[in-house]
Amino acid sequence: MALDKLVLEVLRSGGKKARYELKFRKGMTVLDALVEVRERQDPSLAYRHSCRMGICGSCGMNIQGIPRLACQTQVSSLGKDVVKVEPLHGMSVIKDLVVDIDPFLSMHTFVKPYLIREDLAERDGSDREYRVLSDEVARFLQFDYCIMCALCYSACPTVALDPDYLGPQAMAQAYRYMADPRDEGWDARINLLDRAHGVWRCHVAGSCSFVCPKDVDPAKAIQMARVEVLKKRVLRRTAKAGSPLVNPAPAGAAKQGTRAPPFDFKEGGRG
Amino acid sequence: MASKEFSLMRESWSMLLTYITALILVFVLTIHLLLESPLTGVPLEATLTFGYATGNLMYYKVVFGLLLFAAVIHGINGLRVIAIEWLHPRKKAWLVNLLAVVLIGFFLALGSYTLIAVT
Amino acid sequence: MAKTSRFKSGLISSLIPFGFNVERWGYVIHRVTGVILIGYLAAHLFETFQLSMGPGAWANTMSALHSLGPLEMVGLWLVAGSALYHGANGIRLVLNEVFGILMGKPIMPVYPYSPTSLGRNQKLAVWTITAVVLVLWLWAGLYLLAGLGVI
Repeated sequence: MALDKLVLEVLRSGGKKARYELKFRKGMTVLDALVEVRERQDPSLAYRHSCRMGICGSCGMNIQGIPRLACQTQVSSLGKDVVKVEPLHGMSVIKDLVVDIDPFLSMHTFVKPYLIREDLAERDGSDREYRVLSDEVARFLQFDYCIMCALCYSACPTVALDPDYLGPQAMAQAYRYMADPRDEGWDARINLLDRAHGVWRCHVAGSCSFVCPKDVDPAKAIQMARVEVLKKRVLRRTAKAGSPLVNPAPAGAAKQGTRAPPFDFKEGGRG
Repeated sequence: MASKEFSLMRESWSMLLTYITALILVFVLTIHLLLESPLTGVPLEATLTFGYATGNLMYYKVVFGLLLFAAVIHGINGLRVIAIEWLHPRKKAWLVNLLAVVLIGFFLALGSYTLIAVT
Repeated sequence: MAKTSRFKSGLISSLIPFGFNVERWGYVIHRVTGVILIGYLAAHLFETFQLSMGPGAWANTMSALHSLGPLEMVGLWLVAGSALYHGANGIRLVLNEVFGILMGKPIMPVYPYSPTSLGRNQKLAVWTITAVVLVLWLWAGLYLLAGLGVI
């Protein structure tokens, strides 16, 4: 699509739509356009951004009706010369494109997104590390790539309906830790997920995975979490013990400074 | 923040009941619909007569009983899920669950009366 | 600066699938058909209850329904379509939710990203269900039209 001029239509606070005309440059992202507007046309325009390279998750907003990262959205890829930008849906607006992410973050902290170990002295006072094998990492690594941009939370239809719903990000992170062999909080997290506003309110709309900029695939994590809940409730499975501590330099390990063997994703790799 | 829970049974058991009744329903409803006319060859108009309708109910009581049980539980539980999501009652969640149980009881009673009364 | 209430949230917003993936459309249709079916279930239980009141009550119920004219069969056709879609999609959802089937395994994300939960197997299931439901719904429509004596 040959673009010369671009119109950025931003929904400002108070419900008014502001239109800004810009000259299109090749490679321009929506964030570039917003920065240009703020610098040259309207310094009152408020939005969040930081890294501008799709790793911090700050610039999440609704672009052409879909939650996206502004820094990762090429204007040319949208196929229109009028780009409509709104704040993320399902969240309170603080100003213009800045939304209140506190409810989202509170859901995240609710699922205890950290390794839980029963022996705190061992966890806090050890001079060794917990063992994690390559095939064990493959089971949760995908879900560890979450940058907490809240796009999945905004895209979720249950979140739109129910503000008490945990949301895809929180549940995906809950599963991330449940699948981590070092974690001993499987029972605790099952009880956090098996609630009226927990994992059972996911109806597999899949929009969370559709919008995720890091392919964390929260929909998959949620269904895997559900299977874990059913394993406990129906099959009466019990939690396994967490990974043991191991010597930080096992026999046969590469010496410091030498090239380490490549990470083996074969078992959990794409196939 | 996720609210405190007031429920008659764990959500996982309630949803398992929904899944099981769903699978029962698919099977039994297919039988019910096919028995009404397509398989038997009886014209649609004839199946709506008093004699035919009561005859079906008499012969296939077990099928209809299972259909009633599965449909009411699955349907009302679905309504409960929509109510929990849409209304997100915090302190009154027990009321939504109780209303669901009352509705299930009412429709099961209504359908059971029909099944028993028609002889 | 004061916060507003949640932006574009609520029942209507949750039922707008435009621009999203096909599974989102499936969610919306599943929910709408579910509500239609609950309404029909209640009406059908009250209708069949008339059988226990005797032939007179049944005849009155039937004549009341027939007085709707073609709307009766159109309504039944919509209910048939709702039941077909809700049932077929429901089977896919049971596979997804209870057994985690069609979701794929955890992978190492490689750009350009393609989530396995929305991958080939899931799409195959969604479109197969849609095709089967449409064919059966068409057949149900023809069957009801034949019942009306139109064909």
